[in-house]
Amino acid sequence: MKVFHIALREFGSFFATPTGWLVLAGYLFLTGVFWTYMVESYVLQSQDLVYNPAAASMLNLSDYLLAPFYGNCATVLIFVLPAVSMRSFSEEFRQRTMELLATSPVSTYEIVAGKFLGAMGFVSVMLAVSLYQPISLLQWGEPEVGVLLGSYLGMVLLSSLVLSLGLLISSFTSSQLVALVLTFAACLVLMVLDWGAASPDAWNARLALSSHLGDLFSGAVKLSDVAYFLLGSATCLFATQQRLESFRWS
Amino acid sequence: MIQVEKLTKRYGATLAIDALNFEVQRGEVVGFLGPNGAGKSTTMRILTGALGATSGRALIGGVDVYERPREVKQLVGYLPEAPPLYVDMTVRSYLRFCARLKGAREPKVAVEQVIERVGLSSVAHRLIEHLSKGYRQRVGIAQALVHEPKVLILDEPASGLDPAQRKEIRDLVRELADGDTTVVLSTHVLPEVEAICDRVIIIRDGRIVASDQLASLGSDATAIRLTVARPDDTLLPALRAVEHVDEVSREAEGRYRVRASADVREQVAAAAVPFGLLELSGQQGLEEVYLQLTGGET
Repeated sequence: MKVFHIALREFGSFFATPTGWLVLAGYLFLTGVFWTYMVESYVLQSQDLVYNPAAASMLNLSDYLLAPFYGNCATVLIFVLPAVSMRSFSEEFRQRTMELLATSPVSTYEIVAGKFLGAMGFVSVMLAVSLYQPISLLQWGEPEVGVLLGSYLGMVLLSSLVLSLGLLISSFTSSQLVALVLTFAACLVLMVLDWGAASPDAWNARLALSSHLGDLFSGAVKLSDVAYFLLGSATCLFATQQRLESFRWS
Repeated sequence: MIQVEKLTKRYGATLAIDALNFEVQRGEVVGFLGPNGAGKSTTMRILTGALGATSGRALIGGVDVYERPREVKQLVGYLPEAPPLYVDMTVRSYLRFCARLKGAREPKVAVEQVIERVGLSSVAHRLIEHLSKGYRQRVGIAQALVHEPKVLILDEPASGLDPAQRKEIRDLVRELADGDTTVVLSTHVLPEVEAICDRVIIIRDGRIVASDQLASLGSDATAIRLTVARPDDTLLPALRAVEHVDEVSREAEGRYRVRASADVREQVAAAAVPFGLLELSGQQGLEEVYLQLTGGET
């Protein structure tokens, strides 16, 4: 129950600061621009292929619109999510409000869970607003629903991992800026880890973000990919809890 | 209500508090006094469960702070040195959050009561960001009170307040103590202690140097300043020979300062007359005790 109150306060604080609104507006604006251009170019392509039935049969919404579009969305998320998690603990340290949580009858597990759920709630609002994109497609086209569901699941899982990582990093600094930069850097490392990997089975390819997102965005939900994100998030959240606990012994 | 046994806290190589022992009875108001860095805040933070002790133990209402922190935190209301305020919230929504976080029985009712009690009605709807320091301090106090704690720990509750506001806080603390709340507070302001505390604990370098009822602490210690016309080498030993005199120092030619643990003005005067006593003044009270025990100057 107290987790819920912490989460609710956290959620509310995003709408009380310009950062929250900027993130929301930034994400929706960028993906909106991508959406407009990509739908338009897809329409133009299909018009060009009206007299070429063989090529037209190759063109489908999933491979030529949705997969690249959600790939772009994932990249935008990696840019904006560190700005969501940056204030979680850094701001508590700077304003010295951590003392309130630390002396209230709540455990460090509840504090971390509340912070995480609050941030996830905010990102969920952001993703929910972006649903106008698949809904409009369902209205005027026939996209594969599995691909849409897989893409949204992928974005939720990605958000969970990046936010957990961001929470952990923000628990080490009282500067939002430092938290932002380090979280973004950590995400970039995770993104490019598989560049130059010897094979898809090499350790760095297995740890990389991108190799686990591809299948989800094509609608194939595999346990190993889901486990990657969930385990990654859980590890970061547990480390954050340990970090908070360590303050008592500083 | 509060029992502290051999409580010790080290930060790396520095010893912040060194084997503190003290007890606070139910409904008592105890003031922590001491210079900056003496270990007051550290002790308070350990009592609230925000900080772990290196060794020793602390019990609040018979519950060990380390073993069952959650129960203790439920019993304690705490105002840190810097009030922990979310400045982007309004006073009312902040206090509601605190009430829920601390498990007040009826959060909304409790918040309205505490707003009334600490005089925040006129600013309840405003963002904390826009409040003056005095109001912020009151919001901090409201936050500590909102779940009706049995024990109240206040780290410099009167800082940043003007004299009228200080009096309000004093009255509030007294009222709470009459209602059976145990209060531990720290302060630099000596008249403050004299006005509200039943007992003072004076801390210096992490050790308790005095712990007594205010009445018995304040009355005995005396500082005497005297001026004599014909000082010579026998004056100092003569003054030191007076019973209860702890220290005699020469401030200038013919001017001396005597510190004693009892009121010995008469005896000192008698000892000084052969040297041509011109002037003698005595100063008594808590301030004198405090200065003697902490070895500090004001």
